[in-house]
Amino acid sequence: MTVQLERPLAQAATTALETGVRAERSFGWRDLITPAVCAILVAAEIWYISTRDLDAIESSQLEAAKLWDQTVQHIWISVAIAGMVLGVAIPLGVLVTRRRTRWIAPVVLLVGNVGQAAPTVGLLAIVGGFWLGFWAVALILGAYAMLAVLRNTIVGLQQVDPDVLDAARGMGMSPMAILFRVEFPLAVPVIGAGARTALVLAVATVPLGQNLGAGGLGATLFAGIGQNRDVTILAASLFIAVLAVLMDWAGAMVQRALTPKGIRTA
Amino acid sequence: MGNGGDVQLAFGDGLSFRQWVDAYQDDLIFYTRQHALLSFYCILAAAVLAVLLAVLVYRSSRLSGLAINAVSVGFTLPSIALFGILIPVLGRNIGSVFPVVVLYSLLPALRNAIVGLQSVDPAMLDAARGMGMSRFRMLWQIELPLAWPVILAGLRVSAQLAVGIVAIGAIVYDVGLGQYAFSALANLGSANTANEALACVLFVAAIGIAFDLAFMLVRRFTTPRGLRV
Amino acid sequence: MSDSTDVATTPKAAGSGSDAAGVPIVLDHVSKRYPGTKSAAVDDISMEIPAGEIVILVGPSGCGKTTTMRMINRLIEPTSGTITIDGEDVLSLDDVKLRREIGYVIQQIGLFPHLSIAQNVSLVPRMLKWKKQRTNDRVDEMLSLVGLEPAEYRHRYPRQLSGGQQQRVGVARALAADPPVMLMDEPFGAVDPINRARLQEEFLAVQDKLRKTIVFVTHDFDEAIKMGDRIAVLDQGSKIAQYATPEEILSSPANAFVEGFVGHGATLKRLQLERLETVDLRPVTDADSSAPRVPIKATLHDVLDEMIAKARESLVVVKDGKPIGSVALDDVLARVRELRAEAEAKEGA
Repeated sequence: MTVQLERPLAQAATTALETGVRAERSFGWRDLITPAVCAILVAAEIWYISTRDLDAIESSQLEAAKLWDQTVQHIWISVAIAGMVLGVAIPLGVLVTRRRTRWIAPVVLLVGNVGQAAPTVGLLAIVGGFWLGFWAVALILGAYAMLAVLRNTIVGLQQVDPDVLDAARGMGMSPMAILFRVEFPLAVPVIGAGARTALVLAVATVPLGQNLGAGGLGATLFAGIGQNRDVTILAASLFIAVLAVLMDWAGAMVQRALTPKGIRTA
Repeated sequence: MGNGGDVQLAFGDGLSFRQWVDAYQDDLIFYTRQHALLSFYCILAAAVLAVLLAVLVYRSSRLSGLAINAVSVGFTLPSIALFGILIPVLGRNIGSVFPVVVLYSLLPALRNAIVGLQSVDPAMLDAARGMGMSRFRMLWQIELPLAWPVILAGLRVSAQLAVGIVAIGAIVYDVGLGQYAFSALANLGSANTANEALACVLFVAAIGIAFDLAFMLVRRFTTPRGLRV
Repeated sequence: MSDSTDVATTPKAAGSGSDAAGVPIVLDHVSKRYPGTKSAAVDDISMEIPAGEIVILVGPSGCGKTTTMRMINRLIEPTSGTITIDGEDVLSLDDVKLRREIGYVIQQIGLFPHLSIAQNVSLVPRMLKWKKQRTNDRVDEMLSLVGLEPAEYRHRYPRQLSGGQQQRVGVARALAADPPVMLMDEPFGAVDPINRARLQEEFLAVQDKLRKTIVFVTHDFDEAIKMGDRIAVLDQGSKIAQYATPEEILSSPANAFVEGFVGHGATLKRLQLERLETVDLRPVTDADSSAPRVPIKATLHDVLDEMIAKARESLVVVKDGKPIGSVALDDVLARVRELRAEAEAKEGA
């Protein structure tokens, strides 16, 4: 199960998968559209809830303070995962693509692909048999996110034009310098897109871990499903969705800030 | 404890994994087939939609960007949230599961289809037009075959996604292998939790790998000989 | 096929009675203006391209020569003016069908990598719904014509061929449906110089048999001299600076622009077009026994080149390996004087 495509195809496919077709611009008013829409949706939902006659069950499920707490927990877990991802997967990806360790990369990619085939839900269920709590959830979801970002880091670094690297070495740049000043900046779009996707997936799967007691909006969602309360289901789903969109948006802003000017419109 | 050599994951007095699988094998086979079939239909639908959409927009970079962004929005939303939003609207049936899985599978396929079509060598298109090929013939005989490997790569990713999301779709109603995971989650620590969870993981992973292998075969047999490395 | 240097003398006769003869093309006040640009890409060009001849459009980059050529098969639509092929206005025909009747060869070759050589070559015949047997025979015929052994190359794929071979297939593909007209846009530009010369010569040999009407775009003036029956030297906007035979352009450039294009060494280049056969040979003397030899089919340019290379004023001329006479430096210079007199006579007339 190899991910080695022909070079031009590999570039096209990778770029397609990870960066999207839109050109990056520098920051402008348009960037506030996303958070604005989210704010509107949240406001609308809150207003909607307030206009409905809620029965006893729904009222307790949709208590404002509880929802707020859960949202905060949800954000914390996502941030923890983000930290793990960035702190572990990216350096690991770098290590595996160095000249001496190049042969490991395909193996890692293979493991990564196989690992992704296993469903998050199932793994959470297995782990939940003997370990509960914040860190249980964070580590499992983090493992998934790490697999994805690791794969993207490897592919992103591999697709840096070897001629460019050759020129850098020929100029007398040290390997460290090449890594930080040439490879990373050129791989940022691919790594960045991968990190964002992974984070969004993490936010999305936290609710699945609610049985493990980590907190987050999943509790409300499952409560609503369990009790067949559509209003609750809708509210919880909407808030989770908005959270994911905002995380992605924040990630996009950070990525754009980190993308070197020369390839901003790539 | 269990027989020597059997995997013993249960706590307390549950069955060993092998015993549990034997006991429930009819159900397991049924749900595995169901899961695989549903995934297959979703992938097929996503593939057809992706190619159709790509063919319509690939010549304009603005339209292409628009199409991808539109689909990306759906991609950013957590699948579980999408399921949740559809339950009140379409009910707890296949109608709430199918669209979500297709939407998720659509993005990688669409991105790749567009990029694949856009990256056909312009000299080739010029030669094709110059020798009197109609637009339709060009698309059908030149552009799509040349873009096919890239499209297929995208579909491969879509397939993995679809299989995973169908598992989550069990939250809507009793479909596929995800049920075992949710049931396990709801009864953490009880007798057959581990068996159920393990079953879900193993069988879903198996379906995923099976699809991937199938794609490898398809790639081998449908890539025009002139394009193989 | 490539062994016989049976390079034809510059064909001058137009449209002989053979079946494969081309048809005349007429451009009548054709212009192409792109919206938002000040000057036209092609500004009111009018020219007649006689049937069965190779007409070269040569000029600096951006002068509009490729645009002009591409209007003939309507890959670009003219903003005004008419183009007729064999009397029919191209705008009145269906553009897709029109192009199937015109051979099209481009610099980047454009072979379809996912199709075999045979499938590439048979594309237009198949679009024209030729019968299978006829198509197959035609493919083999075309491959032989361009010097590729059909049995060996039919089933191969473009990526297995060198650049020169690929362009031969490109030419075969353009000739497959036997179109009366061919458009060639710097067709040998992507090939290395050695193979380019071979391709040029072989193409001239093919054209000698087929006599199609060919519009050939190049920025290489030497190629223009070598390949063309007629040359149109184009300035910006495809304005015709001079439209004449290679001999005329070399002997009497119309203006400074054309002179600049011809460059230095016009006389030497002119000698490339003169054959030794036109010179009266001297008898062979004993002093010539050690002289270097030159074939009767050589050009005067080759003769002069050999004389300078070997630092000899006299060469022995051979035909089929046997000496038939000798030629001296004075003979070459005398011929140059004759040519100059002819040119001046034409100008005065």
